[in-house]
Amino acid sequence: MNGEIYRLEKDDFLAFVNNLINSFETIGVKEKKGRFVFSHLESAAELRLDHDVTILPPKKFFLPPYEKMIKFNVGEQKGELLGDNAKRVIIGVHPYDIVALKQMDMVYMEGRPDELYKQRRENTIIIGSDILRVNDFSFASSLGTHVVKDGFDLMLTDLGKKVIIEIGSERGRKILMDYARNIKEASDQDIKDVENHRKALPDRYKVKLDIEKDQIPFLLMDVFEHPLWEEESKKCLQCGSCTLVCPTCYCYDIRDEISLTLEDGERIRTWDSCLLPDFTKIASGEIFRKDKSERYRHRFYRKGLYIPMRYNFIACVGCGRCITACIPKIADPANVFNTLSRRKHESKGKLVYRMIEGVEAESHILPEPAVIRRIEPLTENEKLFEIELLSRDSFHFEPGQFVEVSVFGVGEAPISISSPPSGDNRFELVIRKVGNLTNRMHSMKEGEKLGIRGPLGKGFRVEDLEGKDLLFVAGGIGIVPLRSLIKYVLSKDNRPRFGKIYILYGARTPKDMLFMDEMEKWKEVDDVEIRLSVDTCPEGMKWNHSVGVVTTLFNEIEIQNPKETVSLVVGPPVMYKFVIKCLEDAGIKDTNILVSLERRMKCGLGRCGHCQINGIYVCKEGPVFRYSDIRNLPEVFQ
Amino acid sequence: MKPRVAFFDFAGCEGCQLQIANMEDEILKLIEIVDIVSFREISDVHSGDYDIAFVEGSISRPMDEERLKDIREHADILVALGSCACLGGINKMRNRFDENELIESVYGDKKLVSNPFFNVHKAKSVDEVVKVDYYIPGCPIDRNEFKRFVISISSGKKPELPNYPVCVECKKKENPCLFDEGRLCLGPITLAGCNAICPSRGSPCIGCRGILEKPATECIEEIFQRYNIDYDDLKDKWNMFNFGDKIWRKE
Repeated sequence: MNGEIYRLEKDDFLAFVNNLINSFETIGVKEKKGRFVFSHLESAAELRLDHDVTILPPKKFFLPPYEKMIKFNVGEQKGELLGDNAKRVIIGVHPYDIVALKQMDMVYMEGRPDELYKQRRENTIIIGSDILRVNDFSFASSLGTHVVKDGFDLMLTDLGKKVIIEIGSERGRKILMDYARNIKEASDQDIKDVENHRKALPDRYKVKLDIEKDQIPFLLMDVFEHPLWEEESKKCLQCGSCTLVCPTCYCYDIRDEISLTLEDGERIRTWDSCLLPDFTKIASGEIFRKDKSERYRHRFYRKGLYIPMRYNFIACVGCGRCITACIPKIADPANVFNTLSRRKHESKGKLVYRMIEGVEAESHILPEPAVIRRIEPLTENEKLFEIELLSRDSFHFEPGQFVEVSVFGVGEAPISISSPPSGDNRFELVIRKVGNLTNRMHSMKEGEKLGIRGPLGKGFRVEDLEGKDLLFVAGGIGIVPLRSLIKYVLSKDNRPRFGKIYILYGARTPKDMLFMDEMEKWKEVDDVEIRLSVDTCPEGMKWNHSVGVVTTLFNEIEIQNPKETVSLVVGPPVMYKFVIKCLEDAGIKDTNILVSLERRMKCGLGRCGHCQINGIYVCKEGPVFRYSDIRNLPEVFQ
Repeated sequence: MKPRVAFFDFAGCEGCQLQIANMEDEILKLIEIVDIVSFREISDVHSGDYDIAFVEGSISRPMDEERLKDIREHADILVALGSCACLGGINKMRNRFDENELIESVYGDKKLVSNPFFNVHKAKSVDEVVKVDYYIPGCPIDRNEFKRFVISISSGKKPELPNYPVCVECKKKENPCLFDEGRLCLGPITLAGCNAICPSRGSPCIGCRGILEKPATECIEEIFQRYNIDYDDLKDKWNMFNFGDKIWRKE
């Protein structure tokens, strides 16, 4: 301890707490049926600093389990961000929870901060408390989170008759000086008492990690295909409790709730859990981490590998909440990491990957107002919408990027931009009727308002494609994001910057083919070869091109210069494996294959967790990826 | 045009309809967005002309089946309201007994054989007789869920039920886990949507919303040992809302 340290006698400390209660929304640790919770304090007598651990972490005050983010009007499609101005004081936060909050800060305040989280964080004073009672399942000392040097405004050590108070920030100092009386400087003995208390803590932990915490990521790289995942997950109830009580889990879901008048409502953010079967489910019904063992494993990989690689910290603070909450007692990170380390040799496969550079989203929580300028029906299930952003004069994006389309009252959905960058504030979306939002879009009319967040994600970097031959491979609706790039490349000004162009496009039946009229025009451009196919051609339908899956079209073209050809592939998940095999057989390098992946991009900001493929976020590091960057990720093409 | 809705009851306590009748001031808002054309708990008008039929209760007699099929024919959307309609509910507990014995034990030696009102078969859920479009489970239903359902339908959204266990909602409410008190709670294997109303008031979940599609089975014995929970207790509980249909422990 080398900061500014004071001492209050117990009575003066209680008076200090009561003064805080009279002036702020004051939250402290209270008893609830034999357990502990952070809750509003009515009087200092309720405060318990002898708690082992609270059921939920103080995270709930910054990222509430149920949070009204936006208040909106359905008819006008107007939304307003809901703030939370309350000045709060939270008393009794243990060191591991302070470490967890610091981690949350990196996730929610780094880059483009989450406005709501940031506001709450800035308005809240954290008064920490040294651990007096060690939770039976905690292994904080193994992670070094049983004590903490910063991240608090004040830090208390309750030594019975006296409470020793360390100053952690200027506002902490101010609150102590303003609301406490009889403050004395801590004596050498006081400081020694605190130091002794802290020194003795590690020995009091029953659970310990057998490996150094820095070794956890390396351990996990080795044990991706370990029998333990299957063994343990068999017992998993899939109740999500381990993640819901976790101070470092931060995934959330978003939904719109409207009132009985159908006129107004709120956009809600709620905690979600990657253990739940529908976590990755997209509108078409596809689920990406289908197996229970994969979801069970995913949680440990987030804690020990994915988040450490992204943010450089182990996303577990050893609080023991998950194992306390887990009924079959399989959620214990210490036990899992220890077992894996002992049985490392049983693993049948590794997971090695590198982080991919991501794009900082140009978006906040509140969508920007936009209007539908033009609607063009394309097929039975697809319509083209021209959207104009009302909030700006120009909308800059790269082909392959997407936007979150928002209709207040229905929700949001990620949609690829289908037009080439134009410089003005208009762009086109092609929308297939498949879920709630897209169904609503199909019933909307020109002139109706909606919201847009974006552009989001990483698109095709056109600079990297210059001088190359380009081979586009589109399956079904995959033509939509590719159209943005195709139109860009084929435009008069840009055409000379690229080599030969091949376009292979397959859909289910002739009536599912999109942009057939445009294809005719594209064909006319210099050095463009287009090949089309349908899976089947029902009787009575006209079709002058190939029949078969899109890969059959590879037989119809000759790739003249495979080493200098870049292939751009977008289609349904099942398509990639087969197309990529054709491309590799044709001699195209994996660094020259670009794919765009579909996942459940909900927040678009790399936070909500739904679009994650192993350690990468599709909304941030994708949706366009270099195949060489992702080919070793087991969750990519399941 | 506002959707026209009608309520129908079969074998049940009518408590689910009562939940809706008890919405009181919100009923006035409700009738702004739907036309209630038949709902005998709150109104004596009845029309056979409706778009959405809410069907409450389980199906117990041939005459009920006929009536239900008729409702299905008239309705564009048929919604099973409450656990009796969705799952067969507590009425299904009697399916383990012989019908004649049951009638005798309830009605004694009254001559009821030729009386069609007492011509009962095994209790059935609504979807064992006709196609059900949507389910609003619960014993009784949760008013807020009913409200959300009507809002969804009226605003063109597909109503959805949570596909996860009650624990999710219970954890968010920061309830101490009842297992830690050595009490058997069916929360971990019961579909959520009730906002963990029973555990939040200290009563274990009895599974009224029905069992998860794929409940975990492997860990039950171990859990019972760890928490010192009695198997007979489990059996009684799972029979209440016929969880036994989905075997989750080897007998």
